[in-house]
Amino acid sequence: MMSFMGHQPQSQAVGYTFSQPTNAPNKEHSFYPYTDNGGSTLGITGADFAILAGDTRSVAGYNINSRYAPKVFKIGGDDDTGEGAHIILSVVGFAADGQALKERLDAVVKMYKYQHGKPMSVRACAQRLSTILYQKRFFPYYVHAILAGLDEEGKGALYSYDPVGSYEREQCRAAGSAASLIMPFLDNQVNFKNQYIPSSGDGHALEPKKPEPLPRETVEQLVRDAFTSAVERHIEVGDGLQMMVITQNGIEEIYTPLKKD
Amino acid sequence: MTGFDFSNYNRNAALHAKGVPLPKATSTGTTIVGCIFDNGVVIAADTRATSGPIVADKNCEKLHYISPKIWCAGAGTAADTEFTTALISSNVELHSLSTGRDPRVITCMTMLKQHLFRYQGHIGAYLVVAGVDPTGTGLYTVHAHGSTDKLPYVTMGSGSLAAMSVFESTWKANLNREEAVELCAEAIKAGIFNDLGSGSNVDVCVIEKDKPTQLLRNYIKPNERGEKERNYRFPRGTTAYLNQKVISKEDMRKYVTVEEVSGDPNLMEVDS
Amino acid sequence: MDKLVAQYSRPAHQNEMYSEQEQHDLTESLPPLSLKFNLPPVDNSRSWLRAMTDDHSNPSCPIKLAHGTTTLAFRFQGGIIVATDSRATAGNWIASQTVKKVIPVSRLSRGEDKANNAPTPGLLGTMAGGAADCQYWLRYLSQQCTLHEIRHKRRITVAAASKILANLTYAYKGYGLSMGTMLAGMTPQEGPALYYIDSDGTRLPGNLFCVGSGQTFAYGVLDANYRYDLTEEEALELGRRSILAAMHRDAYSGGFINLYHVKEEGWVHHGFDDMNPIFWKTKLEKGEFSNVTSEL
Repeated sequence: MMSFMGHQPQSQAVGYTFSQPTNAPNKEHSFYPYTDNGGSTLGITGADFAILAGDTRSVAGYNINSRYAPKVFKIGGDDDTGEGAHIILSVVGFAADGQALKERLDAVVKMYKYQHGKPMSVRACAQRLSTILYQKRFFPYYVHAILAGLDEEGKGALYSYDPVGSYEREQCRAAGSAASLIMPFLDNQVNFKNQYIPSSGDGHALEPKKPEPLPRETVEQLVRDAFTSAVERHIEVGDGLQMMVITQNGIEEIYTPLKKD
Repeated sequence: MTGFDFSNYNRNAALHAKGVPLPKATSTGTTIVGCIFDNGVVIAADTRATSGPIVADKNCEKLHYISPKIWCAGAGTAADTEFTTALISSNVELHSLSTGRDPRVITCMTMLKQHLFRYQGHIGAYLVVAGVDPTGTGLYTVHAHGSTDKLPYVTMGSGSLAAMSVFESTWKANLNREEAVELCAEAIKAGIFNDLGSGSNVDVCVIEKDKPTQLLRNYIKPNERGEKERNYRFPRGTTAYLNQKVISKEDMRKYVTVEEVSGDPNLMEVDS
Repeated sequence: MDKLVAQYSRPAHQNEMYSEQEQHDLTESLPPLSLKFNLPPVDNSRSWLRAMTDDHSNPSCPIKLAHGTTTLAFRFQGGIIVATDSRATAGNWIASQTVKKVIPVSRLSRGEDKANNAPTPGLLGTMAGGAADCQYWLRYLSQQCTLHEIRHKRRITVAAASKILANLTYAYKGYGLSMGTMLAGMTPQEGPALYYIDSDGTRLPGNLFCVGSGQTFAYGVLDANYRYDLTEEEALELGRRSILAAMHRDAYSGGFINLYHVKEEGWVHHGFDDMNPIFWKTKLEKGEFSNVTSEL
């Protein structure tokens, strides 16, 4: 039945139209398998170590699921405690996908050791993680992963990934909801971006400050400052800070409390 | 009618329909509560203002003045609560001047609901109105669409469930002043710690019969920032520049008032 | 009817465990050679993927993929110049400023740069569009090139290699891959050869290509100054200058200038240099970019 007084949807109440149809271009899909569990992770390397850190809060909307849900894992360890592992992985985004990814990589690294009789190198593991992510190119793992360990020369190695497996070795990387708050800080404090050596030259001759591997103490301080600051301004970051430091002597885990509001 | 300017409404609706995102208003997440006691009423609020997942203000004020003995706690869109309470505050003042009596809480609540109902929820103000007047103590909630409630204890905002759980488990009749303040502060703390939209400090306002109203700003500060571990002061000359122009203090004085500040001039001014 | 009954009379948890094959796949430490991709359990997986990951048509999509931009390659009498920027963006976020968008293809060039800067034999691929798509499929291509070498005891031609990639992208047409890549190489059969391949399945041989969001800016400089008989020095400078123009005007390009020269003996790397000093040098010493001033 036609009606002159019919209720019109909001978009058609406007007296003119655009060439494209104005009703929402993005079709609603009933299949929505992802949740953003918030939180943030970050990794920095040094001359003979690598650090991965993540806050331990897990959120859904405005609710807190857990105040201690780790985001950093040991990969390829001998038992449940991860004893004997030489690679660490952090995952942030959708926690279930992160868990699945971590377990998958863990199994692969263990199988490699059993089949080849030697531990998997970090470089090989990094490449393998990329292909694991890409195997789900058309149904992605909703995660930002960071992998860390020591390379063949004993130097700290850090690899960061996008959700479908593009990867790159870097000195430092922040991921997750507060990445946009932490990454500029790291660019400035780790790679000394936008810092110049005072009175090293006039005008364009002014020399940029050269980045060099930082000592472990400094890096740990930077990580803690990055997180205490992110907690101040991002509602999804908080509760606790889990840090894993990988050195020649193994993996050390450090927990620091963060603000809980 | 004066007040709101709708001249961009059609343009913005059309842009939004084409996929242009709307500008983000500060806020939504909040915990506000109110509770009556034997000699008056207490309202309390957290002090976090958010813009999406980002904390816009760590110590904002959500308790608004209406009249000396009527105060309002606001949740929802920050600007709407601010301006709605300011508008009603003016009208309440005019009303009391013309009637020659002290303003009543119910009058204020009615003015708020009529104003909000007229705008069909587009003014996103969710309020707890509390006060003491010649008829007794009053405590109401007012929703953005214009509905109201009158209860002995109320909560609102995204942390309302967390706060209400405290009231439901520990509230009892005939509280005294100290007990009511403590209960409200406890309820706000539940919101601060369990709701991501709420955080930072607790503000409390106590309105009592025959006593001046007390605004206890930052009554509890359970979330103070610790010391940073490193010092982030840059040596002078760290930043590169393309060109420089020196403006002397004398030149500056032509345009602005210069106030000399005591203390170390090398210290960068940072947010407290 | 029996079928119906059978459908509901299975044990409820029959499919809960992994099959033997699945267990094997899960724990296999080497990636499978066959191309098996996990698809979402929906009727129209293509539009589902688009809704989740295409930040161009849906700025609020939950998964933002890293995209790459501005690459160029051209043939000249001394071989092929390949140049790129190094920025990766995910939506409006600069995900990285240090991406290596020139990817060596074929086994012999897998190793790192040689110490004495001697040419490394093999092909070069460039990366524009989805970073993961380019990285993965160029790696797949180098696998295929290596197999070709082992089977036929000679290096693959650029024509054949580009065809493998083009056939591949054509097979996945419509699935949402996003890549615009150039393959450059020199073989005894072909001489210097340059191909453009993209995710639509296009495969074009040519003298000169620019790909990515900054392509128009790069073409502007490159077309104006390009000659086939450029000297090596001139050609390298032209490649660098064209990328610089794109980095300057395109917000999605920037970072470092990555420069390669493909010669008969193989490719040579000519630096991964910060654009900023190069920009100021170009401006101050050659008087270009006069639109940029530092006047107060």
